[in-house]
Amino acid sequence: MSEITKKIQEIAREILEKGEAEIVIGWEKGTFWYLSPPAFIDKPEDTQRLVWDEFCHNNLSKYLLDYKNHEGKVAIFVKGCDSRAFNRLLQDKQVDREKVVLIGIPCTGLKDQDKAKSLGPNGDIPKAQKCMECKYPTPLVYDYLIGGEEALNEVAATKEAPDFSDVKAVEEMTPDERYDFWTKQYDRCLRCYACRNVCPACSCRECIFDQTRIGWIGKANNSSENQFFALTRAMHVAGRCVECGECERACPMDIPIMLLNKKLIKDINELFGKYDAGIDPEGKLPLGHFDKNDPEEFM
Amino acid sequence: MSVKEIPQNWEPKILVFACNWCTYAGADLAGLSRLQYPPNIRILRVPCSGRVNPQFVIRAFQRGVDGVLVAGCHPGDCHYVTGNYFTRRRYLLMQRLLQYVGIDPERFQARWISGSEGPKFQQVVNQITEEIRAMGPNRKLRDAQ
Repeated sequence: MSEITKKIQEIAREILEKGEAEIVIGWEKGTFWYLSPPAFIDKPEDTQRLVWDEFCHNNLSKYLLDYKNHEGKVAIFVKGCDSRAFNRLLQDKQVDREKVVLIGIPCTGLKDQDKAKSLGPNGDIPKAQKCMECKYPTPLVYDYLIGGEEALNEVAATKEAPDFSDVKAVEEMTPDERYDFWTKQYDRCLRCYACRNVCPACSCRECIFDQTRIGWIGKANNSSENQFFALTRAMHVAGRCVECGECERACPMDIPIMLLNKKLIKDINELFGKYDAGIDPEGKLPLGHFDKNDPEEFM
Repeated sequence: MSVKEIPQNWEPKILVFACNWCTYAGADLAGLSRLQYPPNIRILRVPCSGRVNPQFVIRAFQRGVDGVLVAGCHPGDCHYVTGNYFTRRRYLLMQRLLQYVGIDPERFQARWISGSEGPKFQQVVNQITEEIRAMGPNRKLRDAQ
């Protein structure tokens, strides 16, 4: 059992025993060695189920939405990206900071689940794509911190700034090549909406994609409607995406959804100044305000 | 006319989202001044260019439009004070996103046309129609199944 696993079990037990929170949301070992799905613990003796390993991908902040009307407090474990997601929900007034206990885990990067599956437990499993480009591996907001303050210094950001090389590769294609590329990707889409369901930027009570009234969204699963879905979703999460990569992980068809989101992040940074979502819960969203000196191209 | 096939005598079909307070008045002025512009545009009057949801644009392409123009008041002149500043941010992004998925930049444009700019309206419509006529019918994003 790793040092951190021991610590998270201890702290979860303490929180439940003291009654600081009624439920602790963490990760447990799943069906396969490369899966660590979320665990919802409400009894101190169950805390031994909790683990921390390189496959704790699930962004737990999203589950807070399920406890929106819950009266007691909920404790969750947060990695760097989860804490950004938490700030994101806080910014949208979706969660009440007073009702959540955050336990921060400085994260050294997780491993790619799909590659782990094919390489086997003894293989040299590479880091997940999102972790290679992570700018905020340490939690930005927390009540408790696993390993104390010194652990924060140990975890250094892997990269100063993401280089967007994958986005640039697509940008360099010709328009027809780009169209073929995206058509091929989104022709696979099942429209299961798993990407929306795990997304911490998606917190609308009534989502456009659930509308049954005519004129909102076509339900047919075809090239055109799938791309309508892709583009609409990309625009909806523009300026909100915290780059946790959950959409891509949840996608059963391996569609590179982050490639769309990263394009928007890149453009927002280029057009409207530097902005990282989920850093400042009081800040304004890039598309929710404006600057009179924004670039002018429509003259 | 079904969007499934493109007719032999194809003519560009261009949807213009015109803001009620500026561009629609500008189009009106173009008409009053007897300024001739191609009949390929369909004007859709909206209360403000900020009303134009990105989904409207994608839906227009799905339903067989060859080009979309979003037009509103010049920044600073919005009837609702700040509507077009939001439009500007939104469509700067949207334009890049559409290009990123392979839509040609000429197919989706935005312009500021005030109520006194009848000649500008004529010139913009002429220009867009010519550009799109040269490019041919739009097949991308089209709901042709």
